[in-house]
Amino acid sequence: MNLYYFSAPATFYRLAGTMAPFFFAAALITGIAGMYMGFVVAPTDAQQGEVYRVIFIHVPAAWMSMFAYFVMACYGAMSLTFNTRLAAMMARALAPTGAMFTFVALVTGAFWGRPTWGTYWVWDARLTSELVLLFLYLGFIALANAFEDPRRGDRAAALLALIGLVNLPIIYFSVQWWNTLHQGSSVNFKGTSMHVAMLWSMLLMAICFWMYAIGASLVRVRTIILERERRTQWVRNLT
Amino acid sequence: MDHTFYLTMSYALTALAIVAEIISLRVGRDTARRAIEQERDLETQD
Repeated sequence: MNLYYFSAPATFYRLAGTMAPFFFAAALITGIAGMYMGFVVAPTDAQQGEVYRVIFIHVPAAWMSMFAYFVMACYGAMSLTFNTRLAAMMARALAPTGAMFTFVALVTGAFWGRPTWGTYWVWDARLTSELVLLFLYLGFIALANAFEDPRRGDRAAALLALIGLVNLPIIYFSVQWWNTLHQGSSVNFKGTSMHVAMLWSMLLMAICFWMYAIGASLVRVRTIILERERRTQWVRNLT
Repeated sequence: MDHTFYLTMSYALTALAIVAEIISLRVGRDTARRAIEQERDLETQD
């Protein structure tokens, strides 16, 4: 199978249309399973009570906000290096979903912080660097759409995405590098201190958000392809 | 302590954000399709 075949917008448009429903279905199934695990199976936390259940969306949303940015920057690098149109379109398609997850991470964090820390917001290194990530996403979207020629917008936005990559290790290691109010990671590559039901709920919700992000970016990239290729014959032949 | 408000608001705002994104995806797709149809109509008129 020649993978370059799918890098053509015309073929990827059809492929994305076929794949998107499967990703949304996977997101729905894992989302329901994650919520069931989180609200029915997982026990009440001894210290935080019921409010700890915010982490079942807060942590996966924060993971997705960073992962989506990393993937977006990779697409940006691909579009700058190989001048591929589809990579630039994919970067554009991922940005709003990444921004949405960053917003969700910040808002749910605030609603968890109020009863736990006594405040919705502190200028803590983790929170501030996550807010910077939201601004990077918004900057990417604004810059990509600021040029009349979309290819120039692609290049400028890709450059911003690559520069902004420096923020990802800052977010991840902020709780180790600085004395932050935000707690350290409960889950890392060495293991976890969480109850197994809590961990499974969080992982299922992470898969749910991941599947949703892929599905949403596939739907969005189809719209971008239609906008960019509207003067081509294959788009005109679409019913 | 009752933390229902914070828990409900977290999940409600997340659901709202996802629904808003899905609506914006549909609006964007419909706008792009309409623009193509309009161009097609203009061409057939010419």
